[in-house]
Amino acid sequence: MTTPPQPQETPGFVEKLRQEPIDGLAFKNLAFAALTWLRTNHEMVNALNVFPVPDGDTGTNMVLTMQSAYNEIKNSPERSIEKIANALAQGALMGARGNSGVILSQLWRGVARALDGKDVLDGETFAKAFAVARDTAYKGVVRPVEGTILTVAKDIASATEKALAITQDPYEILEIAVEEASASVERTPELLDVLKDAGVVDSGGKGFFFLLDGMLRFSKGMPLDTAVASVKSLSALNFDNAMETVEEGQDYEVVVDFRPHEPLILEQFYSDLEKMGTSIQIGEGEGMYRMHIHVPTEKRYEPIDYTMSIGTITKVHIENLLAQMEDIEKSSKAQPIKLTPVEPGQIAVITVAPGPGIANVFASLGAAAIVEGGQTMNPSTQEILQTFENLPTDRIIILPNNKNIFMAAKAASEVTVKQAAVIPSRTVPQGLSALLRLIPNGDFDAVVADMESALGDVETGEITIATRTVEIDGVNVNEGEIIVLHNGKLILSTDNLTTACLAFLEKAAADDFELITLFYGADIQKAEVNQIADQIRETYADLEVEIQNGGQPHYQFIISIE
Amino acid sequence: MTNETTPIGSIHVAPRAIATIAYQAALRSYGVVGMASKNVVDGIAHLLTKDPTHGAEVSYTGQYINIDMYIIIEYGTRIKSVASSVANTVRFHVEKSLGVPINEINVHVQGLRISEFES
Repeated sequence: MTTPPQPQETPGFVEKLRQEPIDGLAFKNLAFAALTWLRTNHEMVNALNVFPVPDGDTGTNMVLTMQSAYNEIKNSPERSIEKIANALAQGALMGARGNSGVILSQLWRGVARALDGKDVLDGETFAKAFAVARDTAYKGVVRPVEGTILTVAKDIASATEKALAITQDPYEILEIAVEEASASVERTPELLDVLKDAGVVDSGGKGFFFLLDGMLRFSKGMPLDTAVASVKSLSALNFDNAMETVEEGQDYEVVVDFRPHEPLILEQFYSDLEKMGTSIQIGEGEGMYRMHIHVPTEKRYEPIDYTMSIGTITKVHIENLLAQMEDIEKSSKAQPIKLTPVEPGQIAVITVAPGPGIANVFASLGAAAIVEGGQTMNPSTQEILQTFENLPTDRIIILPNNKNIFMAAKAASEVTVKQAAVIPSRTVPQGLSALLRLIPNGDFDAVVADMESALGDVETGEITIATRTVEIDGVNVNEGEIIVLHNGKLILSTDNLTTACLAFLEKAAADDFELITLFYGADIQKAEVNQIADQIRETYADLEVEIQNGGQPHYQFIISIE
Repeated sequence: MTNETTPIGSIHVAPRAIATIAYQAALRSYGVVGMASKNVVDGIAHLLTKDPTHGAEVSYTGQYINIDMYIIIEYGTRIKSVASSVANTVRFHVEKSLGVPINEINVHVQGLRISEFES
């Protein structure tokens, strides 16, 4: 496993971490935390971008640079901090993207230089690392622009240098660095007019802050996968999604519209709200804010009182989620997804989908009925038959999307009195590709032929865990390993998901295609999916990469290339 | 395009003027530690005159503006990223001041500066 320990899962983690010196391994974990936290918040950094040209997407560029840096060390068992830091700097240099990425790589280079000949990172070395990082970064430009990441690096260096008089503890030095970074970022508009005019802080500086803050949060055992305060435009707020994440004990939904008396300090606002409840969303439009939160019954008035203390409330909405949840559960059993209605005489497509997300995609593309089923849960002939027997049309096309379901589908098409055909789609992407060719009022045989011909338009990758040790198609597989299937054929086994995805894309010659769609399964975290997607984007810069929540069991990924 | 005719007369922008903007923009661009001469004659001329457009060359082909930048980059930075960042920055600043699009910006990396220091 290359993923470092998750702090919140291990009791006594923080105490243990803080007692031990920061060697190469500990530093590696800090670097991973920095990367994770920046990735979680990179959209927010992107949103700060005011320079229309020099650095397109600062957040993304910094994440990619940092990812490249981390890739150099992620499989290294090295305990020497000198070697780890040098490898990080090397990786940052190789992967530097955009202006901010180049500066970041210079900062890492400075850090590596300061750690030369060191075994561990103590407080003094930490402060020195910031100082050398600053010097190295400033050497890279003739006329430094103040109010950028350079200024933030400079401020941190002087703050940590001063702090040495008070403490020698590296984590306390880190805490001071993060505080100064935050303050320095807030000061950037005073130094750079373009920032002031746009009413934002410097994006590169903010990105740098997230890197350090990620390390600090890790050392405090705080989670790294929930973004801090992200403000959306009012129209982009979608509280329906929030319903899916209702947690135990958070029984009331409170939505407050307000106009703050003074400019809202988002982070403060957000952290105050976090003490009351969960599922916090904040939206803004022309100075009006809308705040959404889920709170326990006894705290249902707290967000309102709190908001009133900082602004004028214009509208309040409280709803009992328990009642609402019951309604949703009832209705979801009757009608889980919006299927395409069929009119008499039209061709109706029945499709088998292994997960709710994939079912939704099928439905949105025009499927008239959906049968749940996949690799380990093959629907019976009867189940397939039932879905279309009651449809108001006699023309039926079935997409089994799995070779194990093919027989049952075929049987259903023979049993029924309706005119039914089975398209031999063996994978979900093939099914989707075929469904796109559907012409509901077209000639039946022509449509069937056309849909069948579409099966070859798409390459399918399926990534799952081997359930037993076996050798197939010349590939040796051990139980528990990740395996990759290309159009149903086993091509590779590995212990790393990213490797698995990239190996498939290479094997399928993804370069020759235009779009990669990743349907991620129920067993994988969104954060990990994003990380893998970023790697794919980096490798296949010319292709579009889409991420869809497939929700399928067992398969971490179903990948379609078209 | 650098000749604009208005009812009260016309505006000409000389290549040297554009080169000055490009020169200033390049020096503010991260990773660039200096401008270089295209050849020996230019180098000597620069020593004598302290030309404010040193290393930036602007030419017109028809109505198109082309810029050539001759730069020196800090050793240890990713040359490709720095060079594309220079091209972007120069384009941004020149187009902002001039109000007309640039056809082509070529970045020539003429050398690297090594500034390793004792720490």
